[in-house]
Amino acid sequence: MIVAAFATEAAMREAAAEIRRGDPGGVETYMAMEPDEAQGGAEGGSILPAVMLGGGVAGGLGGFLMQAYATTISYPQNIGGRPDLSWPAYIPTTFELAVLGAVVAGMAGFLVLAGMPRLYDPVDEAEGMRAAMLGGYVLVARPTDAARARQVLSRHAAIGIEDVAE
Amino acid sequence: MSGPAAVAPVVAPGETAQSLTERICAVTLREGARPWTPLWWWAALAVSLGLLGMGVIAVGWLFYAGLGIWGIDWPVVWGLDILNYVWWIAIASGGTFISALFFLLGVEWRTALNRLAESLTLCAALCAAIFPILHLGRPWFFYWLFPYPNTMGLWAQFRSPLVWDFFAILTYVLASILFWYFGLLPDLATLRDRAQGQGRRVFYGVLALGFRGSGRQWRHYRAVYAVMAALMAPLVVSVHSIVGMDFAGSAATGWHSTQFPPFFVFGAALSGFAVVLLAILPLRSLLGLHAYVTERHIDVLGRLFLTSSLCVGYAYVMDAFATFYGPDEADRTMFLMRVFGLYAPVYWGTIVLNIVFPQLLWWRSVRLTQPLVWLIGLGVLVGMWLERFQIIVTSLARTQLPSTWGQYTPTLWEWSLLFGTIGLFLTAFLLIVRLMPVVAMAEMRAMLRGPA
Repeated sequence: MIVAAFATEAAMREAAAEIRRGDPGGVETYMAMEPDEAQGGAEGGSILPAVMLGGGVAGGLGGFLMQAYATTISYPQNIGGRPDLSWPAYIPTTFELAVLGAVVAGMAGFLVLAGMPRLYDPVDEAEGMRAAMLGGYVLVARPTDAARARQVLSRHAAIGIEDVAE
Repeated sequence: MSGPAAVAPVVAPGETAQSLTERICAVTLREGARPWTPLWWWAALAVSLGLLGMGVIAVGWLFYAGLGIWGIDWPVVWGLDILNYVWWIAIASGGTFISALFFLLGVEWRTALNRLAESLTLCAALCAAIFPILHLGRPWFFYWLFPYPNTMGLWAQFRSPLVWDFFAILTYVLASILFWYFGLLPDLATLRDRAQGQGRRVFYGVLALGFRGSGRQWRHYRAVYAVMAALMAPLVVSVHSIVGMDFAGSAATGWHSTQFPPFFVFGAALSGFAVVLLAILPLRSLLGLHAYVTERHIDVLGRLFLTSSLCVGYAYVMDAFATFYGPDEADRTMFLMRVFGLYAPVYWGTIVLNIVFPQLLWWRSVRLTQPLVWLIGLGVLVGMWLERFQIIVTSLARTQLPSTWGQYTPTLWEWSLLFGTIGLFLTAFLLIVRLMPVVAMAEMRAMLRGPA
């Protein structure tokens, strides 16, 4: 794979877009902050909000049904004359478990989709990757046409270009 | 929040993403600094560990001898245990308000404060979470609170606010830890790549879980962070509402009021902002954060502090109004005892510390006089503790039935437990301040980039 460092986010993004255009091989960008939407950094959405919604619904529904089961089927008991299925009283616990379900689903889903934990990755071998989380802009390409990718990288003023074994 | 004139910048002029990364990493890693850990930190840790030791002894003796070592008895069956729990959980709220609510509102001053504020939340929630276990007569059966199919065929009483509270605390503590840790991931990765020694690289590397700042990671990171913040904001309101309902759900004098849930949310905001100010003001100098925590932050926190004090003042007025407007003679008797009786100094201390002194913050010059703000913040923490004392103790001491009137004096063991949790709070917070990045670097970098 080819690892290239850039001085600006815009240059890295343009190079990444150009390599992607003519090549089915993977290109990934690395930087130390959220990509800038104005520079086209927000490519693609995330499914995780939907996953979190699913986790929330599962937590909330599970919580509600658990309470309903406990108070109507498993252990019905007359407390203060309330009906067995006194659902307004279940709302706080239902809400709390919905939030818990959503947050845990978000964290777990993030770890899966972000490929974490992953303490070693071949890209770590590149010198340039050291700067990625310190404020640098690093592009990693696995092109089918390496010569063309190199050309594109130098045209967009890459600071350093390295070849790293997979 | 911004006045027309003389608004201080939210970051000192000339700061860049590069200088920010260097400075904040230097605060944590202290490469080449002598001594490696500053002396003030060791001194503070020594005091904290002393207090914590006191707490450990108090808990050990409690487990050995039982609840009889406390001053609680009929009719005042709730004492410092519940009081401290409510006090701590309220203190915890400040970090969540700043970190989640103001994230959703998109205010820029939140970014430099959120890490320290969230860390305070975590430490305070930890202290709060141990009291419900300690105040059980048989703490080793605490897991009976969990709903699980057991051989006794029993379930938790889901109609009780105390059980709601269990779920609220469980969710709040777990969600706060996850939200804090999730926000830390990029900064731990920065420390991993910045650290010199092998040991430190492994330490931060393992904690960072392999966050490398790839496009894919950021895309999902941003989405999850935003939804988590959107969930944390109503969560903190629900937690304090449920704490309020712990009291309102009981028919005790002075408690059975629909205003308790918002009243407790206001009180939580007040003590939460107070503790953030108490921590930020000294740490700003000790850690050299002047470039990122500017006068603007102090000013904004002062305004929030004043606003929440006014909200609490409104709740106090409504509490008195509802008592005398309402039909219950027992409520009025209890309230008069609260204001003029044995515990009157507690009531008036509450009013002076929570309502009167914070009015000084109307003046900008006072808001920027840091020692004064610090003292007002400390006063509010004491005042909020007194508020809980008068709510819990005077209500229970003057029940509807005069033959059961009584009083309550906390014992040494209850006091040492309170100071023990202060030690636990400080110890945990000092460790976080020393080992974790104290400013959310990745978010600050994005903010420094500004609008493209």
